[in-house]
Amino acid sequence: MNILMNVFKIFTKYWDMLLEGVGMTLMLSAIAVAFGIVIGIVLALMRLSNFKIGKVKPLGAIATAYTEVIRDTPLLLQLYFFYFLIPMIFPGVDLGKIFSVALAMSLNSGAYVAEIIRSGIMAVDKGQTEAARSLGLNYQQTLRKVVLPQAIKNILPALCNEFVTIVKESSLASTFFAGDIMTQYKTINSITYLAIEPLIVSGIIYFVLGFTLSKAVAALERRMKND
Amino acid sequence: MTNNILEVYDLHKSFGELQVLKGVTEHIAKGEVVSVIGPSGGGKSTFLRCLNLLEVPTSGQILFDGIDITAKGVNVDLHRQRMGMVFQHFNVFPHMTVGQNITMAPTLLGKKSQAEADEMAKELLSTVGLYEKLNEYPNRLSGGQKQRLAIVRALAMEPEVMLFDEPTSALDPEMVGEVLAVIKNLVKGGMTTVIVTHEMGFAREISDRVFFMDGGILAEKGSPEEIFGNPQNPRTKEFLGKVLY
Repeated sequence: MNILMNVFKIFTKYWDMLLEGVGMTLMLSAIAVAFGIVIGIVLALMRLSNFKIGKVKPLGAIATAYTEVIRDTPLLLQLYFFYFLIPMIFPGVDLGKIFSVALAMSLNSGAYVAEIIRSGIMAVDKGQTEAARSLGLNYQQTLRKVVLPQAIKNILPALCNEFVTIVKESSLASTFFAGDIMTQYKTINSITYLAIEPLIVSGIIYFVLGFTLSKAVAALERRMKND
Repeated sequence: MTNNILEVYDLHKSFGELQVLKGVTEHIAKGEVVSVIGPSGGGKSTFLRCLNLLEVPTSGQILFDGIDITAKGVNVDLHRQRMGMVFQHFNVFPHMTVGQNITMAPTLLGKKSQAEADEMAKELLSTVGLYEKLNEYPNRLSGGQKQRLAIVRALAMEPEVMLFDEPTSALDPEMVGEVLAVIKNLVKGGMTTVIVTHEMGFAREISDRVFFMDGGILAEKGSPEEIFGNPQNPRTKEFLGKVLY
C-alpha cells in the first residue's frame, strides 16, 4: 500500500518534471522520425536506383552497407559514438547533448525507415509495374502513378509503428541525461531515494503513450484497408 | 517498306543458366493474327514478353515497324506506347477507378486531353459491356470484367499491335467466353494480334497462323488447318493429342 501511495505522491509532486520528460521524449522521437523519413527516402531511392559502374551499383551498395551497420549495432553504442564524435568534429562549439542524441537517433531511424519504404515498394505486385511499362510509361512515371500510391498503404502504418518503437527506444537518451521520461525517473530516484515507485510512474507514462499510439495506428490501418 | 510490323531475328533469352529461347526468327505482318501454343516452359510467354521488351533479349534483334528496338539508345517507352499488352493476371490498377485505369496512360503521355480520354473511356467501356462500372474500383469487378478492363486499357493507347499473354488462364471457366468474345471482336476489326493461349479451339478459329513453341524454338508453324488438322512435328502431335483428347 505504501508503494501505491508513493506512486500517487510522485505523480502529484513531480508532475511538471514528468510532463517535461514526456515533451522531450516526444520531441526526440518526432525529430528522429522526421529526419529518419528524409534519410530513409534517400537510402531507399539509392537502393532502388539502377545507376551502375560496371557490374556494381555503388549507390545501392553504400545504402545497403549503411543500413546493415546501423541495424546490426546497438543504438546505445551509436548514441555514445555521436556523443563523443560531435565535439571532435566541431571542437569548441557546444552543440549540446540533445543535438548528438537527436542526430544519432535520426541516423538510426533512417536505416529502419529505408527498409520500411523499400519493402513497401517491393510488396507492390510486379505485374503492376509491367502493366504500366507496357502502356509506355517510363520508370519515373510508373513509380509516381502506379507503384508509390499503392506502396504508401504498406508504408504509412509501418512508419507509425516505427514511431511507437522510437518513443520507447528514446529512453536510452537518459544515459546522457537528455531530459526524456527516463531521465526524469533517474532524477526523481536520486531525490527521493525510491527505486520502484518512480519506475512504475515512468512505466505507466510509457504505457499510456505506447498504447494510445498503437491503437491510433491500428485504426489508421483499418481505414486504409477499407478504401 | 515491308508489310511486316514485327520482325524477329535469332532471338535468344537466358535466365542465368536456363536457356528459354534458343534462336527464334519470325515475321508478323500487319493485320495478322498469330496464336502461340505449346507446353508450359516452352518459351511462349518469354517470346511474347520479348516483343515489347518486358524481357530484354540476351541476343538477337527485334524490329518493330522497321525500327530495331533492341538497338542501344532506343527509347523503348515510345515503342511500347504503340504495342498493347494484356496479362494473365489482369494487372489492373487497384488504386484507380475503372475510368482512370483507362485514361491515365493516354493523358499522362500526352496522347489525349482529359476530356477526350474520358469520352474514349466511356466508348471503350460500352463496347465491352462495362459502361456502368466507370466509377467503380476494380476490386468490385469479377475476373472476367477485370480482364475486359485490361484489354480496353491497352486499347486506349490506340496500339498497332496487341499482345495477349494467356489472357484466360487465370479465369473461372464461366468467364472465359466473355473475354474471348472481346478478343474476337478486336481481331475482326483488323488488329494485329499475337496471343499466347491454351484455348486451342479459339486459336484455331481466329488465327491466320499458329506457332507451336517447344524447347525454346518455333518447332512448327502454319495455318490453323495445318497445325491442328495435320501436324508434322511429332512433338506437335504429342502436345495436341494430350490437349484435345
